[in-house]
Amino acid sequence: METAIRVEGLFKTFQSGWVRRRRLPVLRDLRLAIPAGTIFGILGPNGAGKTTLISILATLLLPDAGMVEVLGLDVRRQAAKVRRRINLASGAAKFVWSLTVLENLRFYGHLYGLWGRQLAVRVEEMVALFELQEYRHSPFETLSSGLKQRLALAKALISRPELLFLDEPTNGLDPIAAQHSREEILRLNRQTGVTIILTTHNLREAEQLCQEVGFLGEGRILAQGSIRALQTQLGLGDRVILEGAGPLPRLAYQQLPGVLRCRQNETHLELILDHSDSRLPLVIQEINQAGGLIRAIRVEAADLEDLFREFSR
Amino acid sequence: MSLVAEAVKAWAFAARGGIMNCRNVFAVLEMLFWPLVGLFSVGLLTRFLDLGPATVSFVLIGSVAMNTVQIAQLDVSYALLYDVWAKSLKHGFIAPIHVIHVILGSGLVGFIRGLVVFIVMLALSIWAFGMDLRQAGWLGLTIFFLGLFLVAVIEGVLVLSLVLLFGHRAEITAWAISYLVLLLAGLYYPVTLLPVSLQAVAQLIPLTHFMEYFRSFYGFPVSASAPLARGFLLSLAYLAAGYGLITVSLRRARQRGTLLKLSE
Repeated sequence: METAIRVEGLFKTFQSGWVRRRRLPVLRDLRLAIPAGTIFGILGPNGAGKTTLISILATLLLPDAGMVEVLGLDVRRQAAKVRRRINLASGAAKFVWSLTVLENLRFYGHLYGLWGRQLAVRVEEMVALFELQEYRHSPFETLSSGLKQRLALAKALISRPELLFLDEPTNGLDPIAAQHSREEILRLNRQTGVTIILTTHNLREAEQLCQEVGFLGEGRILAQGSIRALQTQLGLGDRVILEGAGPLPRLAYQQLPGVLRCRQNETHLELILDHSDSRLPLVIQEINQAGGLIRAIRVEAADLEDLFREFSR
Repeated sequence: MSLVAEAVKAWAFAARGGIMNCRNVFAVLEMLFWPLVGLFSVGLLTRFLDLGPATVSFVLIGSVAMNTVQIAQLDVSYALLYDVWAKSLKHGFIAPIHVIHVILGSGLVGFIRGLVVFIVMLALSIWAFGMDLRQAGWLGLTIFFLGLFLVAVIEGVLVLSLVLLFGHRAEITAWAISYLVLLLAGLYYPVTLLPVSLQAVAQLIPLTHFMEYFRSFYGFPVSASAPLARGFLLSLAYLAAGYGLITVSLRRARQRGTLLKLSE
């Protein structure tokens, strides 16, 4: 599979103050590879460096050291070429207040060299795609948060990017607007094949959208993979509590496939399973074969916040 | 790289500046109200002081120059300040543009607005205070305006660089910088009245030479020979230096994260 992003040994430290210099290291020896065509999530707590990383990839920020390739191009030496092929939308979208939806889209279209009929057609496509027809002449400052976000996505796609950066794309949206935005993002990826890299601290959003995530902490990627794979790696999974009609047999549950942890008293068995749907039938079968009788089963889906806490620790 | 595509990128800033100016009452005030207040207050002062026609022209040339430069310079500065105020700066700089697109596009709006102010103020100077423009002729007027416009672009580029370097703290320079330059360039007085050390500084300002060139049509001496050549050569040097400075400032803004800070 082609690689959209390749990062090796990336360092970034912010310096502030003209007289008394203050140094704030944000990224330290970061390594990352992201396959093309996927939706990749960069997760991490506030201040972990998600926006810094995405800004370096988007050529808005220069790295101090390290190799950073975007679509096979070096972000330092070939930044202009990178910019032609990428775009970005942020949560809490902000554009010039008194320009209308159409004027904003035309302005950013012009910045990518689009003009005349080509620009007019593209603007209309974006207006239709994001259902902004009714608001085409509305100034940006009069739009609701959801509409602003749709305009931000429309602006980000006006240049037909091969790689789209979404920095906390549902930040500040109400739950319905946030869900709508997520559906748009999924649709875009499926329809156009655009690689999408998004930052979020919303794990459920990451689970819904991303084929793969990288967890950012201490200035580097602490783990990378699917949410499920990361849960397994940390021993975080679905919690299953089996209540016996009488004493439950003491078996080597830990040896069964998919069992991450196990705790048992006389009548209760608590298991952490990587996938409760597929693993539980075997556990029940083992208990039945050993003469145990189950009275009740309770399944609690994996708490994604646990994953977050575990990595943030 | 298509030339049309590059022109379109510059046009983006011109079109946006145009829309913002047409839609903003403050922009109309800025263009007509304050310049007229300035012109009339200075013109009436010359009447009170009972100055002769040549001296009145000398003073009015200063007033015309001040307002033309300020308006044209503000449009160049606004090219980035709109984005700074809207916190949308990063969206411009993630696009495949260069600072030259920003300067050319905003410079076009500054040229048009500056020209309107220049024409209106000269017309009022003739009508209200009897200034005689025939002495300078069309060529003299055209060269004088071009000189003022170049000074405005240089000041605008300096403001853009300072905004990229220092962020919001540099916004005030958009308004302050032209006053400082005008003070040193002999706004309402010959630069020979300045302290000697400042006279040397005045010689390094192109506006000094452009104003002296235009005032020479009214019989006033120039402080250095060949004022036009000096004015244009200095302007070219400052434009080149300004271009270098803004390129470095943008690079530094990408290093220090200023583009992000100004978008939060």
